[in-house]
Amino acid sequence: MITIKLNGSNVEARRGMTILDLCKEKGISIPTLCYHPQLTPTGACRLCVVEVEGARTLVASCHTPVAPGMTIQTHSPKVIQTRKMIVELLLSAHPDFCPVCNKANVCELRMIAADLGVGLPRFRTKKRYYPIEDDNPYIIRDLSKCVLCFRCVKACREVKMANVYSVGYRGHSSKIIVDNDQPLNKEVCRQCDVCVLFCPVGALVLREERFRKISRKPFIIKG
Amino acid sequence: MPEKRIVLENCGVIDPSDINTYLSRDGFKALEKARKHMTPQQVINEVKRSGLRGRGGAGFPTGLKWELCTKSPEKERFVICNADEGEVGTFKDRYIIQNDPFGIIEGIALAGYAIGASKGYIYLRAEYHYLRDLLENAIEQAKTKGFLGEKNNESFGIEVREGAGAYVCGEETALMESIEGKRGEARYRPPFPPEHGLWQKPTSINNVETLANIPHIIFRGAEWFSQIGTQQSKGTKVFSVSGDVEKPGIYELPMGTPLRELVEELAQAKDLKAAQVGGASGRLIPEEKLDTPLAFETVLGAGAVIVFSKGRNIIQVVRRNIEFFAEESCGKCVPCREGTQVMSDILRRFSLGQGTKEDLTILEELSNAMMLASLCGLGQAAPNSVSDSLLYFRSEYDT
Repeated sequence: MITIKLNGSNVEARRGMTILDLCKEKGISIPTLCYHPQLTPTGACRLCVVEVEGARTLVASCHTPVAPGMTIQTHSPKVIQTRKMIVELLLSAHPDFCPVCNKANVCELRMIAADLGVGLPRFRTKKRYYPIEDDNPYIIRDLSKCVLCFRCVKACREVKMANVYSVGYRGHSSKIIVDNDQPLNKEVCRQCDVCVLFCPVGALVLREERFRKISRKPFIIKG
Repeated sequence: MPEKRIVLENCGVIDPSDINTYLSRDGFKALEKARKHMTPQQVINEVKRSGLRGRGGAGFPTGLKWELCTKSPEKERFVICNADEGEVGTFKDRYIIQNDPFGIIEGIALAGYAIGASKGYIYLRAEYHYLRDLLENAIEQAKTKGFLGEKNNESFGIEVREGAGAYVCGEETALMESIEGKRGEARYRPPFPPEHGLWQKPTSINNVETLANIPHIIFRGAEWFSQIGTQQSKGTKVFSVSGDVEKPGIYELPMGTPLRELVEELAQAKDLKAAQVGGASGRLIPEEKLDTPLAFETVLGAGAVIVFSKGRNIIQVVRRNIEFFAEESCGKCVPCREGTQVMSDILRRFSLGQGTKEDLTILEELSNAMMLASLCGLGQAAPNSVSDSLLYFRSEYDT
């Protein structure tokens, strides 16, 4: 056990756990997008950044292990402002057709944006528009809505162990691809919806759910 | 201070394709000295005492990095020479490789001896493909002379690996991913490369210039080396000067030399407006701050100095920098992937004279967020020139 100063109070932590694990245990909520408890950390979305005293930059809590004598601030003004900017960046590259998206009520990006109090982004940038891929009899991929969290890539690799997805191109035009950027239509995807379950937004949906209201509990905006 | 040549001592004097010319100038003497009279720990201590810091820009103490590698229980370790010199305006590594490849090989062999590595890699950027034959020939010659390979109970070999032309692969973890054959994307840290580097084994990754310094330190001793330079930056630094100067090129100066001396006296810049130290990701230094000493304490980077004369438009300069980063971002983390894109959009508006006051606020907030939250050095350093131009050349952003 090691002692850590978390938001001003001393707490006990186990060696090897990440800052995010510790915060979850202590009931402190940190927004995450690319992180999923069942997958290895990616460190791509940078939403879970926290302030660690002595560090040059903010550190992402999902992959940074705790160290003895760490002093952590999870909700300092600097952290909040950075998180807000990241959400704004995500929204600016995300299409604005939430009203017709069937994940609208269960969308993690919207939930995080609402929690942080971010509305319409103050700036606009190029959006990544791609045609909808419906070659697959089970899964419909709408990559315009993709936020590039790489959860589907990791889920396919680590949960299903199928390695269907990978990342293609670079920079702003990065894209989750299948083979050499072919439409998703693989025998291995038969009756598998692992990636759909892990997608935080409406980029991956089951064909049967596409035009149906999802009967999941709508999210509640935390104060 | 006049030029002082340590790293470039043999450049232009020896024949890069003939090892005998290098041997006649005390070549490989340091390696022999280390292997015969020093333990690996003594070599590390010597480098630590010399105060040598990484020349790739971050300035991490080299001796400490090596020591961290030896602390790991893993027996298989690697040395990587980072010759992916992607930073805009740097050409010092190319010059060193072209003129003194044996010095680098000796440095890698010494690093390998110190940390107990089984293999060394030279990661050459794709644009330097034409240097590959020269390097491989030099490695072959060192092998036949018995400095590398199976002789002396040392089975240390060096392999040349080539990149595919991505700027981000100069970043240490992305470089390792690339050697492993994966997509060049930065990994998150910790764990740092001395713990889990190439193929998750302890790896020491050093810049070409850092490794070229090693033989001189071992041969002449740490005391001699630590007398040169400033309190926290020892030795000399090789600068590549380009832009609006009369005499662009490579200059080696002791650490702590004022920037003015380099650009005005040696490179003979006239009507200078600003100099960017450290390439596209470097800091923008206006004319009035030109007396800043060049050292790790103040401003250094990888040693690229790009000079802009009075006729240049700073917004155009910054815009070009950001467009470069938007092109070269790997696309993994959000602040860098989207941030560089948004920034280049805003700067395009400013260069057309359509920028607004709100754009300025966004630009400031965005550079802060990118510096604080990006995954690797690319995103963290990309807004440097934007924030410096907002600080020193705000009048040019007139709205």
